Amino acid sequence: MIAVQQIVDGITAGSIYAALALALVLVYRSTGLVNFAQGQMAAVSVYIGWSLVETGLPVWLAVLLTLLISLVIGALTERLLIRRFEGQEPLVAIVATVAVLICFNGLINLVWGGSVRAFPSLFPDDVVSFLGARATWGDVGTVAVLAGTVVILQLFFLRTRLGLALRTAADNPSSARLLGLPVGSLLLVGWGLAAVLGGLAGCLVAPSVPLQPNMMDTILVYALAAAVLGGLDSPLGAVVAAWLIGIVETVAGANIDVIGSDLRIAVPLVLLALILLVRPQGLFGHRDVERL
Amino acid sequence: MTTTERASAAPATLSARARPLRWIAYAVVAVVLLAIPQFASPYTNLQLTLILVYGVAILGLDVLVGRAGQVSLGQSAFVGLGAYAAAYAFGHGWGPVAALALAVALAGVVAVLVAIPAVRLRGFAFGIITLALPAFAVPLANRLVDLTGGSQGVAVVATTAPEWTGQADDQWRVYLVGVVAAVVFWLVHNLLDGRLGRALAAIRVNEAMAAANGVAVHRNKVLAFTVAGLCGGVAGWLYLIAVQFVSPAILQLNLAVSLLVALVVGGTRSLLGALLGAAFFVLVPNVTDNISPGRSYLIFGICLLVVLFFFPGGLAGALRRFLTWTRHRLHR
Repeated sequence: MIAVQQIVDGITAGSIYAALALALVLVYRSTGLVNFAQGQMAAVSVYIGWSLVETGLPVWLAVLLTLLISLVIGALTERLLIRRFEGQEPLVAIVATVAVLICFNGLINLVWGGSVRAFPSLFPDDVVSFLGARATWGDVGTVAVLAGTVVILQLFFLRTRLGLALRTAADNPSSARLLGLPVGSLLLVGWGLAAVLGGLAGCLVAPSVPLQPNMMDTILVYALAAAVLGGLDSPLGAVVAAWLIGIVETVAGANIDVIGSDLRIAVPLVLLALILLVRPQGLFGHRDVERL
Repeated sequence: MTTTERASAAPATLSARARPLRWIAYAVVAVVLLAIPQFASPYTNLQLTLILVYGVAILGLDVLVGRAGQVSLGQSAFVGLGAYAAAYAFGHGWGPVAALALAVALAGVVAVLVAIPAVRLRGFAFGIITLALPAFAVPLANRLVDLTGGSQGVAVVATTAPEWTGQADDQWRVYLVGVVAAVVFWLVHNLLDGRLGRALAAIRVNEAMAAANGVAVHRNKVLAFTVAGLCGGVAGWLYLIAVQFVSPAILQLNLAVSLLVALVVGGTRSLLGALLGAAFFVLVPNVTDNISPGRSYLIFGICLLVVLFFFPGGLAGALRRFLTWTRHRLHR
């Protein structure tokens, strides 16, 4: 029964990594970049959500508003800051996202200060038990929200015209432009949606951790590992990888004494290394084939 | 001697006639640089030393990231390994040369062992895997208390100025670190100025194309990773001499990311860029702290964005463009 409990805990933790990993995948698919600022942008969303709750809004409404604001912030970040670096050396673009990270971190310190705050829970605090494992409604809600998000994302990408256009723009920007697609606006939408997913990850994790400017840093490392393990361009892969990472991390952390709390962050990276050595393209990624 | 031969053999173009002038300019710059530590405060000398230390670390990173195109988030682990090795050696009464040998050997061995499996990965996967180095190194340093002093770190007296030099310790350290850094820059320059440099350039542009043209892709990537690690090890030894102290903070991912940022800000594939990037990394936080301590981080981020926005080739690229521009103006 303890094993079941650990798996349940792992899936809950994994769902939060998954939400941020989905954001990374979305940015990668739309602009071919890994956005190191994704976690920091999520932290900004959480702080905005906290301020909205402080004004007396109901939590759910505050979170919805936060996600809308995140959409705008993400889109503006792409348009004003990242656009300049697209199509350039990827290294410069990555460092630009690090610069954005530093700016947002400084901004949080400037606006909200460094003091630790608490975020209200989105779900009731009651505990449910099944199969001998116990989980709070918060845990169940987190997994449910994530599952819903994945389904919506898959439908969005596979069944809507906008989703198709986004995939086209990401896959081959110059051809997409020739087809008359507004590639610039599509990239903007991609970044906006990624910021929404990041904000969602932030709001899901916020009730169970103290609010700090760097609250998402560790989660970003897990999300990066999950996104790469899933193949970087596959939303479903990212979610499966994130759950796998969550479970392995929880089970290994609880059963292998050497790991302790400080080495837990190394667990997903070791897992990633082992799997990538066998499958360099990730679990669900495509092997790059190019014509010389 | 070879330079004068080459200069006389070259046709008497403008640049050939300007060559003696250029050497005079180099000499003046060298004399000024050598004189600075005599007049600067100990604090300024420490800053200069740190610029040279990080310059070596960034130079190594440039071989892997700038030349071979493999983004690494693990350089801080090699700097830290070198620093801890040096601290152990100095703490057990070894001489500076033995300490350097230990730092370089350890960093080199770890680099080869990590590189052999890691270089099979491409692109971002490689970067994320290298992230494991700091993730492992920090807890390890915290746990091996007997060797590393745990989270408190270790303080050692690395070297002091010999009597005959008549220098203060801070001045001696600038010169010592400067000489070693100059040797490393010269070695790396020579290493890249040939087969290896061309092989790495080919790998950076297109791995499949490089392999098709007979470049041993894996071997050269391992070599680039090892050079990066070796430079990190030397930088760690230099760091210990500069600061006389090492703690797990030096191993953290933050430093690895900062070194990568500094590399791009200074300018990739440039020896001068490594130094300019290190100077940005060491000096700009001081300036932003003076402007407004509370907003230091925000202003630093904005400075970074400004440089990236306007000088995508980094500070070295901007300087090169400026020099070309002035030369054209002068010769018109």
